[in-house]
Amino acid sequence: MMPRVFAASLIVALIPVVSVVPLLAWGAEPRALDVRAERTVWDSVYTAAQASRGETLYVKSCARCHQVSLAGADESPPLTGGAFMGNWSGLPLADLQNRIRTTMPSDSVGIYNRQLVTDVMAYLLKANGFPAGATELPTDTEALRGIMMRASRP
Amino acid sequence: MPPRAPNIAACTIALTLSTALPAQRAPNPFTTNAGEWPSYTGDTRGSRYSPLAQINASNFSTLEVAWRYKTDSLGPRPEFKLEGTPLMVRGVLYATGGTSRAVVALDAATGAQRWVHREEEGERGAAAVRPLSGRGLAYWSNGTDERILYVTPGYRLIALDAKTGNRIPGFGTDGMVDLKTDIDQEILPDLVTGEIGFQGAPVVGRDVIVIGAAFKEGTAPKSMRNNKGYVRGFDVRTGKRLWTFHTIPKKGEPGYESWLNGSAEYTGNTGVWTQLTIDEELGLVYLPVESPTGDYYGGHRPGNDLYGESVVCLDLKTGLKKWHYQIVHHPIWDFDLSAAPILADVTVAGKAVKAVALPTKQGILYVFDRVTGKPVWPIEEKAVEQGTVPGEWYSPTQPIPTKPAAYAKNGTSLDDLIDFTPELHAQAVAIASRYKLGPIFTPPVVSKAEGPIATLTRGPTNGGTNWPGGAYDPESHTVYVAASNAAPAVIGLVQPTKDRSDMDWVTGIAPAAGGGRGGGGLSVQGLSIFKPPYGTLSAIDLDKGEIAWQVAHGETPDAVRDHEALKGMTIPRTGQPGFIVGTLVTKSLVIAGDPQVTTLPNRPRGAMLRAYDKRSGAQVGEVLLPAPTSGSPMTYSVNGRQYIVVAVSGGPYSGEYIALRLPAGTH
Repeated sequence: MMPRVFAASLIVALIPVVSVVPLLAWGAEPRALDVRAERTVWDSVYTAAQASRGETLYVKSCARCHQVSLAGADESPPLTGGAFMGNWSGLPLADLQNRIRTTMPSDSVGIYNRQLVTDVMAYLLKANGFPAGATELPTDTEALRGIMMRASRP
Repeated sequence: MPPRAPNIAACTIALTLSTALPAQRAPNPFTTNAGEWPSYTGDTRGSRYSPLAQINASNFSTLEVAWRYKTDSLGPRPEFKLEGTPLMVRGVLYATGGTSRAVVALDAATGAQRWVHREEEGERGAAAVRPLSGRGLAYWSNGTDERILYVTPGYRLIALDAKTGNRIPGFGTDGMVDLKTDIDQEILPDLVTGEIGFQGAPVVGRDVIVIGAAFKEGTAPKSMRNNKGYVRGFDVRTGKRLWTFHTIPKKGEPGYESWLNGSAEYTGNTGVWTQLTIDEELGLVYLPVESPTGDYYGGHRPGNDLYGESVVCLDLKTGLKKWHYQIVHHPIWDFDLSAAPILADVTVAGKAVKAVALPTKQGILYVFDRVTGKPVWPIEEKAVEQGTVPGEWYSPTQPIPTKPAAYAKNGTSLDDLIDFTPELHAQAVAIASRYKLGPIFTPPVVSKAEGPIATLTRGPTNGGTNWPGGAYDPESHTVYVAASNAAPAVIGLVQPTKDRSDMDWVTGIAPAAGGGRGGGGLSVQGLSIFKPPYGTLSAIDLDKGEIAWQVAHGETPDAVRDHEALKGMTIPRTGQPGFIVGTLVTKSLVIAGDPQVTTLPNRPRGAMLRAYDKRSGAQVGEVLLPAPTSGSPMTYSVNGRQYIVVAVSGGPYSGEYIALRLPAGTH
């Protein structure tokens, strides 16, 4: 299944790679495709207090690899900027939550519960310049499926 | 043929080689000349070169998927950081994969799995300092016996029968050597959790396996004391340790005096976590050594700290040092020597030179005569700024090569800041004014809320070139290397609480620094604070010591292309920051993948694998992959067809090896 916002014929015509379509069919393709109704990280989806909790946890548990600056290091990717946004933009926040929850921290996977992981995500949203609001980012994965990461304001 | 002992066994080997293997296999057992890829960098010389020519400028963009191999099931959960480069010998592809670093053998033409080997390391594996699938393997054969060698996350050296995947009983103990033992030191606190490991590929030459050592990220260590990253040689037949090189000299050894106040006794790290390089002909091995304990603070290890951030040349058989050159004195910038040294036989001013070239995080290619250790072009000791961090010891000078010119940006000045519009530039200047700026070797500072928050620079930790290294074309004597220009290094120091560390200073940001905190604080309306190009691919002519060409590498990021403030502007391709860009050079092409995912109006999200004309740097082809190439590409030929294999992963995309080839009937 490929993103339906693009016409298949257009892709085949412009990208001379026969493999493009099957390659993407296996990927984590965008799930919310109705752009008009989409809720995004620009819609004030976390609170400042939650981001502050997340920051405390980040500094304690994540910064030893990803750095206090979030710039990453030899073994750890940056958590701001083009690489981070490129990976996650166009995908629901549920994917980011799953990735953190099931792979981090890499030397003791799974020690943080959903609340802690989600608080760190709130901090990452703040650090990437997305606005805070009155409602906390929900911990429920299904709820996070309804919030899209978007690098640019829709 | 490398000079082996002239005995009957050697004769048998030679006969077997001449009959069973492709004729071009001799005289050097690690060569890509016959269409194989028998070592991590193709050969053991850091080259990443193959003479294959079937895939070229005219057809690169028609590449199709030949097969794909998802690594999810090789460990207890999917892995999102697949960094391996496979090997291909005699029609079989060998690769690492999965969260607990399994080894797989695949049919190189079809991708069909032949065998899987995985070690169950329990707590020791879970405590690994370098977990996950690692970067690859070594292959060795005497003509009949074929072996696959790799290091587990728990730091065990394993020898497998390449035909079956079973451990080789006569090697070490039942096919395994415990690398946490027999290392001229006691690994503390114990063998299970003792901090030391290795995720690189072993390298083999003249029947000697050489293994490095890696540790946790070192920007904020818990202690000034740590285990030491000695480098060792092992007999490929028996697993017996042949030698140990003390990367931190012991008392009585040369170099010990470069650690003042006896600090060599307790300082650790100083390992080789990236790829080592072997010159089989000369019987030498080249060690790119990392930083000592404390990436940004060296007050507990005053002095130059040999062999921290040095290239060291050893005799392969004995481990005795031939020469060394310290690239950075008293390292406090995390300028680990991060890439495999590249061996290059070049002609400088009419004279043949056996050279070794080191791509670095600082974006400088350091080039030496690899026999003598003398710089090919003069390297000058230049006076550098002396910092003010209490307790720190500063080297008054640092070595700066006169040639070649730096191929990546290092250091930061106001002129380097984003200037797409005057408003964006003004915002960038306002942010940068809270930091200390300066050229390469501007020292770290104590972080202050009122400023400077930190030294803001480029190069340290994740700029320039990292573990993917470069490639070398033996035909044109040219090094091809990708570099990241726009990874901000924020080097502030804070005093840790005693429960966090016994160091006086570790990396950090003063708590009240507020808005300057984080990479977010360093972006300007979601854009990099730096000007493009964010990432480049460079060709460096090693006969002349000059950059032959340089292009922006990587699609313009979505955040730039879609930005409101930039609407209507024509911005040339910016390239992308990110250091995981491995290069492959073939008869006519240089091949490298984008380090970031982008989504363009005319195509879905993905990351391009690009081909450039190696003579001009002009892009001549591209294919879309579902995720960035997260390991360096390799190539081989089977049944008359050329394949390119890349590891892809990252973000939401779990690890996968993808093999590409030309459509049937067109090759």
